[in-house]
Amino acid sequence: MDPRVLEIALVVGAVGLWAACYAALFLVTRPASPRPGPATQELGTESPAVASLLANRWAVTEDAVEATLLDLAARRHVELRQPAADPMQTTVHLRPEADQSGLTAYERRVLDRVGALAVGGVVPVTALTFRDDKQAKRWTKQVRVEIVAEARTKGLSQRRFGKTAVGLLVAAAGVVATVVAAAAIHYNQRVVEEDEAGLVIFAFFFTFIALSAIAGRYPGERDTLDGRVVAARWLGVRDWLRGHEEFADLPPAAATVWDRYLAYGAALGVTRVASSVLDLGMGSRRLVWSSYGGTWHRVRVRYPRFWPKYGRKAFDLITRALLSIGLGLVLVLYGTKPRQILSDAAPARWFDTFEPLARIAGIALLAYGGYKLLRAVIDLATERTITGEVLWVQVWRTARKDDDARPEPVLHYLAVDDGAGDRTTAWALPSELAFCNDGDTVTLRVRRWTRRVLTLKVDERSKRGDFTESTVDHESEDLVATTLGSTMRAVTGVLRAPDVSPATLLTAEEVGHALGMAVRMQDEVPVPGPFRMVTFHTVERNKQVLLLQLAGGRMGAWAWRSNSRGTPLPGIGDGAFANGDRATLRFGETTVVLTLLGKGKGHRQHLPWLLTQAAGRMSA
Amino acid sequence: MGNLGLFIALGAIALVVLLLIGWTISTYNRLVRQRNQVRASWAQVDVQLVRRYDLIPNLVETVKGYAAHERSTLEAVVSARNTAMAAAGTPGGTADRAAAENVLTQALGRLFALAEAYPDLKANQNFAALQAELANTEDKISYSRQFYNSAVQTLTNSIQSFPSSLVAGLGKFEPPAYFEAAGGERGPVQVRF
Repeated sequence: MDPRVLEIALVVGAVGLWAACYAALFLVTRPASPRPGPATQELGTESPAVASLLANRWAVTEDAVEATLLDLAARRHVELRQPAADPMQTTVHLRPEADQSGLTAYERRVLDRVGALAVGGVVPVTALTFRDDKQAKRWTKQVRVEIVAEARTKGLSQRRFGKTAVGLLVAAAGVVATVVAAAAIHYNQRVVEEDEAGLVIFAFFFTFIALSAIAGRYPGERDTLDGRVVAARWLGVRDWLRGHEEFADLPPAAATVWDRYLAYGAALGVTRVASSVLDLGMGSRRLVWSSYGGTWHRVRVRYPRFWPKYGRKAFDLITRALLSIGLGLVLVLYGTKPRQILSDAAPARWFDTFEPLARIAGIALLAYGGYKLLRAVIDLATERTITGEVLWVQVWRTARKDDDARPEPVLHYLAVDDGAGDRTTAWALPSELAFCNDGDTVTLRVRRWTRRVLTLKVDERSKRGDFTESTVDHESEDLVATTLGSTMRAVTGVLRAPDVSPATLLTAEEVGHALGMAVRMQDEVPVPGPFRMVTFHTVERNKQVLLLQLAGGRMGAWAWRSNSRGTPLPGIGDGAFANGDRATLRFGETTVVLTLLGKGKGHRQHLPWLLTQAAGRMSA
Repeated sequence: MGNLGLFIALGAIALVVLLLIGWTISTYNRLVRQRNQVRASWAQVDVQLVRRYDLIPNLVETVKGYAAHERSTLEAVVSARNTAMAAAGTPGGTADRAAAENVLTQALGRLFALAEAYPDLKANQNFAALQAELANTEDKISYSRQFYNSAVQTLTNSIQSFPSSLVAGLGKFEPPAYFEAAGGERGPVQVRF
């Protein structure tokens, strides 16, 4: 058999087998679909959010958050009022006198969000949406985690992959990594003259870490025995509520009459109108609620995309205007020149057509350039200062400083309600000024024609702050941590990368001095997981001579355990050993391993000195 | 050509007839579903009312131990319970049943008002537990009544709206009676003894 085919087959086969095991496990652990119990109106003790989790096959949907808000209304923590026939006009009113001691973490989070947005204790129900996608995702994730934590505490839900399953997958990842490393050894023996240990080590750890990371990824929730029984009961409630056709058309304010039934209806997905009105996800940037001036009102915002002048600097605009004028002048003044020069080369009718067209284009360019120049000058002379509430901030344009650099924002859209009307056009905010958030009251110096912001001053920070910084108490946080943290902590503990960069521990000069040859440091190759490493190569033939590895967290402890043998080296870090061509150092949570390779192997006597240098840098 | 026109006409008629039959069946089934929902909702009301009947003898006996001479109030409760149980023999939310239940609710209200004058009775744990249980049952009755009345309204709308009223007439569907609350407890009932 072709050895290349053998190597590829080994790698693909091993990884494929692991993937098949993962897929099989995913299939086997899929959440159950309990058969609904008899239709009943008897509610259980679970909160609407947990009921939603169970009824949606152990997935937290947006229904859970909406149902929590309705439940808070039913329990008189907030009040929902509908002043007119349209449910979209419903407003949420805070009830500060309500006792909040019995609230769960996610209920408090929802209440905090309402409280943060309320002006004078009131907020329109449709103004509860987010204006920042990242914040929305973070908040939703926190709520999801808290709901899942409660369900797990009650024994109704469990992690889809238990500790045993994850352990087996990680062990299998080790086997696969060994097979991949064997393939790398085979490749080494076949292709590379000198033994390249780096490739084998890299192949092993990269495979192991990548597969372990996949195994440790949060795969969702699944049922438990109790969970299935309770879910069946809630599905019975869902059938009961679904049987009442008018229930689907109840608005959110009906929570006053239907109490918690409406909340559970929303949680179980049977309240069409209430669920369509409530939205605590990402809002629209084109129709934004503003409380500027003390009353809630909606502002329609336009975000120009194709205006040539939009956000341009005055210098750019004037330059372009002058270019247009110049080109126009050329066309008008010298439009007859081609006839004079090329009269012998081309028929006269061509020039008869070209000359009037050139004149028209020239006049148009002159007019356009003149107009631009005039407007740009007027714009320069008529800078204005406006004050208003920030409705939306969003990156609009990005640019790369050079080919390898990541794109960086250069212009932001900034929608501001200055109280002048219910329609506005977003301003173009240079990104270096984009230090305001939605809800802030700001004063801007602007050029109206180009919509460019020149200066920005935040007059008053929004009290909304960051919704994710909830007033959830430590007890609830502990509950979430202990319920969800055990497995996740184990995985994140294993996969946590050390904070120290290996490139900062030793210099090329130091290594070269120790090994007696000119070396250079290869740039650190970023690898996912708990390891970081750099290699030192000979300048002459670019061969590896030293491998410096760093491991943190749980993996660092394992690395220390397996390498702390040989000759002890007292006085270096928290402990150090030298063993043949390898020396190991423990410093806090981090383990440093130095491995001599190739021509470096003859210099093991210098390893303690190199470790001392590294330990000194770490303590600094 | 003549035959083709005839076929098209016949086909169109057949299609219309088929659509009509389909709509009739669908409307009839919807009416049946709504009627069943009314019955199921009434069953839920009935469960709670029976629960209330079961709690009353124990309550009366407890009160007797402390206020035996309040005979008329106790007898009124027992009598109202018997009347309500007799009315319960009639299926559906009839006006008679509703009236009997409302009388019982009022009699119970008077009984609990009476307990205010007897501190020993109020301090009795059994009485307190029964009072709480009855309050809970009253709450459930009010929600059950809400569901029942909602189901009745849906069915009544379907029976009285055109064109579903045609199918309702053919199927002999009758609008059921609402289970109305007593004058003093209209709306969402919050029993506060």
